[in-house]
Amino acid sequence: MSGAGSGTRGAIRLLVVAIALYAPSADAQNVGRNTPSVVAIRGGTVLTMAGPAMRGATVLIRNGKIAGVGTNLSIPSDASVVDASGKYVMPGLIDAMSYFGIDAQDLAEASDPITPELRIIDAYDPTGMGFVSGAGPLRATELLIGGVTAQYVGPGDATIVSGQGAVVKTAGPNLTSITVKEPAAMDMSVGSGPTKTFRTKNRTPNTHPAVMSLLRQSLIRAQEYDRSWQLYNSRPDSAKSRATPPKRDPGMDALVKVLHRQLPARIQANTVTDIRGAMRLADEFGFNLIINGGAQAYQMKDELAAKKIPVVLGPISHPFISGDEIPDLKEYPAPDERNAGWLHQAGVPIAIASYSHGLGGLAQPITGKWLLIDASLAAGYGLPDDEVLRAITLYPAQILGVADRLGSLEIGKDGDVIVLDGPPLSIKTWVESVYVGGELVYQRGAGGATLAGEQRKP
Amino acid sequence: MIARRSTLLFALAPVLAATTARARAQTPPAPAPSVVALRGGTVHTAAGQVIANGVVIIRDGKIADVGSGLAIPAGARVVDLSGKEVIPGMVDNHSHIGAAPEDLNEQAVSFGPQHRMVDALNPDDRGWKPAAEAGVTTVVTGTGSGEVSSGEAAVVKTYGADFQKRILKEVGGLKIAMGRKRPDRPPSTSPAVTAGLRAMFIHAREYMDSWSRWEAGGKQGPPPPRDLGMETVARVLRHEDYVRAHVHAASDIMALLKLKDEFGFDLALHHATEAYKVADEIARRHVDVVGMPLFVRIGMKEEIMRSPYIFWKAGVTYAFHTDDPVVQSKWFRYCGAMAIRYGLPEEEALKGLTINAAKIARVADRVGSIERGKDADIVVLDGPWYETKTRVDYVYVDGALAYDRSKEAK
Repeated sequence: MSGAGSGTRGAIRLLVVAIALYAPSADAQNVGRNTPSVVAIRGGTVLTMAGPAMRGATVLIRNGKIAGVGTNLSIPSDASVVDASGKYVMPGLIDAMSYFGIDAQDLAEASDPITPELRIIDAYDPTGMGFVSGAGPLRATELLIGGVTAQYVGPGDATIVSGQGAVVKTAGPNLTSITVKEPAAMDMSVGSGPTKTFRTKNRTPNTHPAVMSLLRQSLIRAQEYDRSWQLYNSRPDSAKSRATPPKRDPGMDALVKVLHRQLPARIQANTVTDIRGAMRLADEFGFNLIINGGAQAYQMKDELAAKKIPVVLGPISHPFISGDEIPDLKEYPAPDERNAGWLHQAGVPIAIASYSHGLGGLAQPITGKWLLIDASLAAGYGLPDDEVLRAITLYPAQILGVADRLGSLEIGKDGDVIVLDGPPLSIKTWVESVYVGGELVYQRGAGGATLAGEQRKP
Repeated sequence: MIARRSTLLFALAPVLAATTARARAQTPPAPAPSVVALRGGTVHTAAGQVIANGVVIIRDGKIADVGSGLAIPAGARVVDLSGKEVIPGMVDNHSHIGAAPEDLNEQAVSFGPQHRMVDALNPDDRGWKPAAEAGVTTVVTGTGSGEVSSGEAAVVKTYGADFQKRILKEVGGLKIAMGRKRPDRPPSTSPAVTAGLRAMFIHAREYMDSWSRWEAGGKQGPPPPRDLGMETVARVLRHEDYVRAHVHAASDIMALLKLKDEFGFDLALHHATEAYKVADEIARRHVDVVGMPLFVRIGMKEEIMRSPYIFWKAGVTYAFHTDDPVVQSKWFRYCGAMAIRYGLPEEEALKGLTINAAKIARVADRVGSIERGKDADIVVLDGPWYETKTRVDYVYVDGALAYDRSKEAK
């Protein structure tokens, strides 16, 4: 265990970034001023994710929030009206696990297998490749093309406890405003990531039992840390002034949040062995568990359903989320496309995510841009059509703890809305326009979809 | 372990084949009719026709006829395909299935044109079945990109009891890899890779010349020493074989085109990520492209996704690939589906998954379209082939039912 100092530094760095970004937030007000305060998207087939499809319905957004959804809404006279007849309207997609916006080198702090103090927001760069860079509002164009309006970004899976992830939007005036929830979860892995990382360094852990014992030991340390603070805090003030307080440790602080169920633990586990291991730990220490990957989760579906443990599945077309060019057959013995359907049928909460591995070079892996197309494969393998859409909207919002703001078209939620030019599950369908907080942040150009800075090529 | 097992199995393959053949000869002829009529589906032949309510007649593993309103031969087993879509068995022009991963790259050398993928193929590899079940009935499976020249690919069917019969071409294209710089040994720069290839072709010419001289001289004296690698490159220079080039950057593509200008070999560009930037240079030289997209994995930029459309417009023969394990073979048809999304007409996209891939692999006389006389490799789907919700119902390889979804374990 190390890095208490680096955690503090991270927090200071974040503060500096936050202040730096806060300064031009007068721009944010200008953007807001240019955006109509009332938007009415009228006439489309509205898939709210909270109820049945509504044909010829209107979605009303006022001051960035959903103000109404229905077929008999009266449209205010000051509304900017968007005609969506013949089109489909649904909430912005949510990618429940992504590394988009993070330098690959920042995904594995491999000096220590346990680094709960790290916060990915400190490495999140919404001005990098695939984003609109330079001055002006932030736009993750590569994700907006696919209709993704929010994503969970987390540290990689190369170590046991890799740190704290965040839920961010893909468009907005600045980093502060696009951050929906931070920290949103503690990312961990009991799969082959940590064993591979430390085997090459000739350090422990080399094996799964070593991974589990190190994780268990860290959680025990967090329990002890928690008790020592509780003991100190329970003393009368007169006694406190004489006693030395326990030493602050940001990593332990974060793990205590996990133990108090204030922060869920997302544990990457693909095999039955690893999923069982993660569930044993959750029972032993009493924390909220989310399984990442879960390639073989269907073999554990009844146990997962009984405990209401959500699974954030990898891409249907490429469940090998560890990112190796040649998938490790031990970690992925027999992926089955029916996994999502079986889990849903058993009552396990699921989300389908991209697990996009950073950016850079010619060979980029799947990103949120293809989330809808990839998830639509599950419809051929037993997941009902509307559940496919919920697995990339409402369910990730619920799993990530942001369903009060995101994931469905319901009054009071954020006006994050996408308009599609055809049925969402057809490969020929395109996301035509994207609204985030009621603001039009992306529109597919006449010359086809375009990259940042490469508008309307002939 | 896996490598050793596969070598052993391959060594035994001819013996096993002989044994099976003998066993077959002793058993009485199967009572099942050798004529099958697939009736009522919409048949996409990939030869320029879409036949509504079509009939495909299969006799002895070959396509005997295809059309609408054909008379069903007496004694034929009739399969009703009303409401189904019928396409040719697909041909994945760039895959690595069938061999152990550690057999794909002879990392110890930079040049190994004499290596042959066929020597690593394992009939029991776990990659064949999912490919066949997804309708990928033929693959060009080859060595990796770890070396500048890693050897000859094989063209193989993904299903069939007799492994030897499944092989359409034992040597099916010489793999080279542009831009694969290695930190541990030369060549470590792009110009050095190109220079190494130039030297390889020059040596092969000299090798051919030494044999020509010996033959012209009445074969007097001992023949020149044989060199397997140079024999392989010589076959390429004589147009008996062709070059399959792993290449991404436009600069590497141009370097390769200049090598082609110099030595005159037949060429297919593989992956070809930035080929769209030099499309006219490629079209002018009649070079084939086996390119993006790789479904939703690689080729994220919008221009790259539009490559198939750009090359169709330019008149270039374009085919798709999975590069399995990069994309699993089972998603092959969606590489074509993505191209439709980016402007390619549906039937052109289907050609990229079938006949164009077969042409580039030099096996179009056998596979790649539903035409009289070709192998009866046929895929039946329950909806448009390009939609993600559509599933494969049946796959026929050489007329034999290789997959029947209704029999799938629940």
